[in-house]
Amino acid sequence: MHMADALLSPIVGGAMCAVSAGALAYSAAKIKKDELCEKKLPIMAISGAFVFAAQMINFTIPGTGSSGHIGGGILLAAMLGGFPALLTISAVLIIQCLFFADGGLLALCCNIFNMGVIPCLFIYPLIFKPLTKKGFNAKNISLAAVIGVVVALQLGAFGVVLETLASGITQLPFGAFLLAMQPIHLAIGVVEGIVTAAVLCFVYKMRPEILNSTRSRTAISSGVNMRKIIVSLAVITVLVGGGLSLFASAYPDGLEWSMEKVAGTTELEASGEVHETAEKAQEATAFMPDYDFKDANGSGTSVAGIVGVCITFALAGGAGLIISKLKKKNKS
Amino acid sequence: MADMRAKMSELYSLEQLSSQKSSIHALHPLSKIIATLTYIICVVSLDGYSFSQLAPFVFYPVIVIALADIPYSMIWRRALVALPFCAFAGLSNVIFVRETAFYIGSLPVSFGAISFFTIIFRTLLCVSAVLILVAVTPFAQLTAQLRRMHVPQMLISVFEMTYRYIGTLVNEAYSMSTAYKLRAGDKKGVQMKDMGSFAGQLLLRSFDRAERVYAAMKCRGYAMRDALLKPLPLKKNDYIFTAAVCLSCVLFRAVDVQQMLTDVLGRMM
Amino acid sequence: MLEIKNLFVEYPDKTSVVNDFSLTVKDGESVALVGANGAGKTSLIMALVGILPSKGEVIADEITLSKNTENDIRQKIGVVFQNPDDQLFMPTIYDDIAFGPRNMGLDEETVKRRVNDSLSRLNIAHLAEKTPLKMSGGEKRMAAIATVLAMRSPIMLMDEPTAYLDPRARRSLIRTVNSFPHTRLIATHDLLFAAETCDRTVLIKNGAVLADGKSENLLYDEKLMEDCGVEAIGVYDRGVKL
Repeated sequence: MHMADALLSPIVGGAMCAVSAGALAYSAAKIKKDELCEKKLPIMAISGAFVFAAQMINFTIPGTGSSGHIGGGILLAAMLGGFPALLTISAVLIIQCLFFADGGLLALCCNIFNMGVIPCLFIYPLIFKPLTKKGFNAKNISLAAVIGVVVALQLGAFGVVLETLASGITQLPFGAFLLAMQPIHLAIGVVEGIVTAAVLCFVYKMRPEILNSTRSRTAISSGVNMRKIIVSLAVITVLVGGGLSLFASAYPDGLEWSMEKVAGTTELEASGEVHETAEKAQEATAFMPDYDFKDANGSGTSVAGIVGVCITFALAGGAGLIISKLKKKNKS
Repeated sequence: MADMRAKMSELYSLEQLSSQKSSIHALHPLSKIIATLTYIICVVSLDGYSFSQLAPFVFYPVIVIALADIPYSMIWRRALVALPFCAFAGLSNVIFVRETAFYIGSLPVSFGAISFFTIIFRTLLCVSAVLILVAVTPFAQLTAQLRRMHVPQMLISVFEMTYRYIGTLVNEAYSMSTAYKLRAGDKKGVQMKDMGSFAGQLLLRSFDRAERVYAAMKCRGYAMRDALLKPLPLKKNDYIFTAAVCLSCVLFRAVDVQQMLTDVLGRMM
Repeated sequence: MLEIKNLFVEYPDKTSVVNDFSLTVKDGESVALVGANGAGKTSLIMALVGILPSKGEVIADEITLSKNTENDIRQKIGVVFQNPDDQLFMPTIYDDIAFGPRNMGLDEETVKRRVNDSLSRLNIAHLAEKTPLKMSGGEKRMAAIATVLAMRSPIMLMDEPTAYLDPRARRSLIRTVNSFPHTRLIATHDLLFAAETCDRTVLIKNGAVLADGKSENLLYDEKLMEDCGVEAIGVYDRGVKL
């Protein structure tokens, strides 16, 4: 469910970065106020490592033979509290991004939002905590965990859909994309929820103080903050997203723009809107020297284009080879 | 589950690469971070159909990989993980966008197909840019730089320690799952009904362990780190590298160099 | 010099683990801290460097332990943990040994010198580029000691240093420890090891000093050792020592 750089536009990426960075900074500041913060550090880190390792333990899902793995947001939030959990899951996502190229640097912020901010700052206080308000027992831990994980995953998957479509890299229709993502994540969510519930029940049985202390500590400072967070996150999104789109509005939508570029205006009987953007596109690229759209159609260009790309790749590859050779020579 | 340890050594193999010596390794971490970010933003800001304009961006990874002696296999292996989701999104374009862009001989190439290849290409470029950054910047330098950039202290510490703990934890999980497997008969993997206590055991055991490791770190001065964080001045090479990468990225982004090459070729043909 | 005066350590649930413990270790002296499992040895060590909160006074080379001096005192007192795995967490042994000196803000040149010194001192220069995940128990123990040596602290605390060692590795550890100039406090229930590395022994029971005296007197006293909860060195073992 990792969002990827390749499917992201800078506007969406930028807006999500602002939101996630804001949520992280807020969480970090919140934890700092907590006196136990230094003591909590190793527990947070090991929980993060646990989520990472647990994702590698494949377990078999009865009746299907396929295997699933543990997600983490709700599990971490239940054990550590929402804010520390957000920092922890972010650390895991950063490691996955940097060392395994899961997602990407720009998409990291989307992932932190989808898999961190949603479960830790929204689902945990709004669903998990109310469901376990009257104290813990195996039944309500399980219920809260399953519902929490399912809802969090649904929203997370929905986030991926929105971010991808808003970026406009893929032309997948909204409905089809939704149909592809949501049911799969419903199934994943149920399985993950059951396992999360099992782990939490086990922890509660063995070391009840871990869950209890988290709940009692976070209970003190909640309520009002929630609204503040939501409002400020929304404001940041709108500001950054809006600001960036001002810059970007000079550029037309990807598909139309490239149809223009490759095929010229004649091939598509364009609607007024397309036509307008196309004109804008020409204006935007007017500084390009000797660049005639009308000329650039027909198979001649396409062959030239393919040959050109091959030449570029060959040049790059050659440069790489020569550098490697020179380095080896210098060494020996 | 045997791949658990493989994945772990994959994680730490990048760190071994990053401790090598090369002109790229020697650069200031800040200049590498800026270059990487600029590169990714420029790549990503091109729309989903501009395969040819993306082509010149291939120079950066190829040259840096050669300069820094990074094995290509390392990039390929990880890129393969990132590809499926992107390929899915790309394939949908093949289905939904069928207008023909041009013909190769008599073979029609649709815009969807162009965008499919563009997305795959973008994925490879972005993935290599991130991996290169990590492969040429030692972990300690990276976190020190993040601290200098005022990323919240708490986040960096958690990041740093999670990274360290993964080794310990995976080893623990590995021996536990081996012990499980030896008694599990012919079942593959851990049964879902056992997963709660299996993972729970692993977690609780690690909690105590975590506190001891942290104590050992503190005994050797971990807490002092912040106070001692010295500013690291940028050198001439750092400026040159950053400027070269950023300017060429912006150039390739603003001017379609590839199209110019195409035009020249077109006229010749 | 390490001075401990009326030290108390409590767990968060108020169980007391160290109970009015006082001890002075003179410069260059090597003292064995002997007690059964759960006698409070590890807690005492952790309290001396401020990892566990404590009441009472700890003075190491004229620095008194307090919230503000924690970092200074950790430069004076090096701790070798019971389990070397807790101490080794970097990708290579070199980085692990360099971890402490780097945290002290030393430049790379000095760090390198210190690492190589520590490595050659323990005859483990060949381990520098190895990863702890692929090393034997004995190698890991030596590497863990090297990480503390590189801190160049005048006082060294060791927690069960012979745990996880085979006889041969144990023998080489005895030689190594005896060659140290440090002021040493060694927590152990390996009495022969205590006899060979320390002239003085302090017995600890329920977190308090039970007896304090010359190792050769205390460690062979069957009644006293029984009271302390460990087995005295038997007649047969005595032969081995001589």
